[in-house]
Amino acid sequence: MLLVAAIAILITMALALARALLGPSVYDRVLAVNMFGTKTVLLMAIMAFAMGRTDFLDLALAYALINFIGVLAVLWFVQESQLREQRRAATSDRGPPAGSDNE
Amino acid sequence: MTTLLIGAFLLSLLVITAVAIVRATDLFSAVMLSGIFSLLMALNFFLLDAADVALTEAAVGAGVATVLLLAGLRLTPPTEARGRSLRVLTPAVIAAVALLMIYASFGQPSLGDPQAPAQQHVAPWYIEKTPELVDIPNIVTAVLASYRGFDTLGEVFVVLTAGIGVMFLLGGGRGKPFSRLDSNVEEGLSRHLIPKVMARLLVPFILLFALFIQFHGEYSPGGGFQAGAIFVAGIILFSLVRGERLTLAVIPPRVLLWMSAGGALLYGAVGLAGIAMGGNFLDYSVLADDPITGQHIGIIVIELGVGLTVTGVLLSIFHAFAARD
Repeated sequence: MLLVAAIAILITMALALARALLGPSVYDRVLAVNMFGTKTVLLMAIMAFAMGRTDFLDLALAYALINFIGVLAVLWFVQESQLREQRRAATSDRGPPAGSDNE
Repeated sequence: MTTLLIGAFLLSLLVITAVAIVRATDLFSAVMLSGIFSLLMALNFFLLDAADVALTEAAVGAGVATVLLLAGLRLTPPTEARGRSLRVLTPAVIAAVALLMIYASFGQPSLGDPQAPAQQHVAPWYIEKTPELVDIPNIVTAVLASYRGFDTLGEVFVVLTAGIGVMFLLGGGRGKPFSRLDSNVEEGLSRHLIPKVMARLLVPFILLFALFIQFHGEYSPGGGFQAGAIFVAGIILFSLVRGERLTLAVIPPRVLLWMSAGGALLYGAVGLAGIAMGGNFLDYSVLADDPITGQHIGIIVIELGVGLTVTGVLLSIFHAFAARD
């Protein structure tokens, strides 16, 4: 039973990796990484039971808590770089008035 | 057998990811792929029963490294600069090194071989003597903190040196020293409701979990390095959602500098205390009347020192990058 679940998770991981490699957009990659993290948590939980080392569940717990931060960091990064581009456009377009408000 | 097959599958995914990272010219996708690389690496450590290492990889690779790379990426152009490629020399060197490594791998003992030097040298002694001498269930912590305390002291100072280097290079921005770092980033992601609510729920638990890893390191996987990285991950989550300014108000840069240096000093002080009480440097047995109690006290205090330094340095590096615009 655990083996079937492990195989299913491994296939999902391979598919997520394929999506992360192919892209094409930023959000595809972010979602792929997030999904990969979730599958890592699940695989660790399954292997902990299969290997009889249930105390290793701490690790799965750590991942589950931390995985979220990467996604938020990406959101923050996208927001910051958009803000910066707007600021750059505003400073470079100072010549023609009201030109920067079009975006 | 099944574990071996799963390990082989994960290792081949690891190779694919590594090649993709090298070939990616878009730095953002390279960062995302390196996140996946670290997850795969942690799974492999996990399958090899190396729970402490897997936990470090989890905390540093998946949590902190991605954020640090993104914070650095913010300050650079989004694509890799095209360097002059040495068309003949590069593949030749790579091929030669690869052949050497493959040749060397034939001399390596097979996985789990009981006759391997690693299993014959000091490992049996550690396994046999730890219950008697140190009396903690996690032998990895006993090796790291007590038998090899000197190495770990060196590692802590390496971490501190790396942090000092980054703070020297980046400082507080515009020529200011790091201790006067401030930020005008008011809000972070606080305008978005879902991340805000999620972060508010998660941050206390991440910090609590870090404390658990810190002070439960003798009994379960974990210790100062892992706890420091998880603690930093929690603070970074707070910073992403509530903005840099508030985070710097909660833990000012000056405090971070004191934490970084204080942790390493605390570790060294335990060593000197051992000398003062009639033992060797970093010999914890003399710290209390009972040698085993002395070992416990020593390990807890030096793990605290490690945790403080790692927290201080990682958080300083994050602020040094993230507070700039």
